[in-house]
Amino acid sequence: MTPGTAVALFSVGLLVIVVGFLAWETYNAVVALRLRIDKAWANIDVALKQRHDMLPALVAAVRGVMAFEQDVLGDVARARAAYSPTEPIPAQAAVSEATTSAIRSLFAVVEQYPELGSHRNVLDLQDEIERIEGVIADRRELYNDQVYRHNTRIAQIPALLLAPLFHWRPREFFAARPEELARPDTELRSA
Amino acid sequence: VDGPIAQVAVLAGGGLVAGLAMLLRGLGGYRTANRISDTATSRIASIAAGEVRVSGVVAPAEVLLVSALQSASCVYYRSTVRERGDDDLILAEERAVGFRVRDETGEVRVFPRAARWDVPARFDDRSSTLTGSPAGLYQRTGPAYTAAEPDRDDQVRALLGIGRPDRFERFVAVASGRDREYQERRLEPGDTVTVIGRAMPFGELDDPAEADLADSEVLPPDDPEVAANIAEARAAGMLLGDPEDAWGNAAIPGFGIGRPVREPDLDPDAARLALAGPGEAARVARTFEIPAERLVLAAAPDVPLLIGFGAPGEVAGRHQATFLVGLLGAVLAIGSAIALALALGQGLGA
Repeated sequence: MTPGTAVALFSVGLLVIVVGFLAWETYNAVVALRLRIDKAWANIDVALKQRHDMLPALVAAVRGVMAFEQDVLGDVARARAAYSPTEPIPAQAAVSEATTSAIRSLFAVVEQYPELGSHRNVLDLQDEIERIEGVIADRRELYNDQVYRHNTRIAQIPALLLAPLFHWRPREFFAARPEELARPDTELRSA
Repeated sequence: VDGPIAQVAVLAGGGLVAGLAMLLRGLGGYRTANRISDTATSRIASIAAGEVRVSGVVAPAEVLLVSALQSASCVYYRSTVRERGDDDLILAEERAVGFRVRDETGEVRVFPRAARWDVPARFDDRSSTLTGSPAGLYQRTGPAYTAAEPDRDDQVRALLGIGRPDRFERFVAVASGRDREYQERRLEPGDTVTVIGRAMPFGELDDPAEADLADSEVLPPDDPEVAANIAEARAAGMLLGDPEDAWGNAAIPGFGIGRPVREPDLDPDAARLALAGPGEAARVARTFEIPAERLVLAAAPDVPLLIGFGAPGEVAGRHQATFLVGLLGAVLAIGSAIALALALGQGLGA
């Protein structure tokens, strides 16, 4: 083998190693991104389930005092009943937003009942639900950030070249589509 | 073959090796940059168990380090001193202690054992026989560890006391008069930091005391040789069951930072140590009183712990720069290979 051939082989070999490494790393990075999105979604789901489980206790605690605020209580119950972990993510986002809105309305009305201020369990439930609302908001932001990173990554070179090969598609954000915001209009079910 | 051709061949060979080394380092940088930029930042108040990235400000836990070359309070330092023209280091010391990262929503405790640190040099200077020691050199003369919240008496003592040169400084003082290069990397309270690691309940840490320290001077207990020695000693019944029997005064909380919570057993001629007041004793006793379910950040076998100085973009940017340098390394390697081939071709022809 002449020195020239050896150099050519070395150069091509080095190029193949670099390109192979980039392809390998890109594949692994996209797989890791997808797993991070799944994990971020699972963490949101846990918080949504916690809120879903706590709402009946809150409604039961204030129902006796807030006898004339059935509309507000009904909104909370309807939003809770619309929760379905099997729905597509945008639909769940719409339900989550409606639930948050109903809870905020309920808390605003609770402020008008000073007698509820002496109910320790109401205050505790309110604090805990507010904490979970904060967690949902933070995890939603994290999830959407992770989806953004994934979608950006697969739209850029070198992942763009691999995307058709591995059927990588953009993931959906945890945000309600405009048409989803009309929901939920589910019938009031017992909590 | 000798003369200019041999020199070119040697230079080209060196360039080839250096280029490949740069490329290897650059590929590692690419991987790390991807890991940083592909992980979204979690707010500390709502982190969930698993791999997370948090970014915030370093806040001390119970103990701080005093750096070796500039005596700065920090949670991590790596200090090196080398003589110019000599590959051997006169000093290579790396230590870290547990700390907290605080963002606008809360704080999380970081256990730095087995972490990979990405911290730029805070002190990088050299001494020479003409100019003497660099201006910023202020070597540590006391212990490497200090309380994170020293009381007034300790601060007065540190301000007015005269430290005696330690072993390292004496060694440097008697060493040959060659120029020396000093470098110190540090992470200090108040610095912005980005941490990627596993958030896990505190109760799942195997050994919090070990995980809270990273000290290049002390071999870890999971070191194969150390582990074998421990197992042998345990089998022979040589290990004591009570910490005070084993360690004596060192088992008294606060003794290591000069504020024991109770009277230590000292030589009658030794200077008495001031006992910790109720507040300090409570602070010392608080150490590791972390609820078992509280999430902390630590290294895990499947999720290495990375601690970088600066905001996430800054840390990722440094590693991307390393990757670009690595690509230049590939070009250097190919260029060197061509030069080497030409030199060998001419040499063989001659």
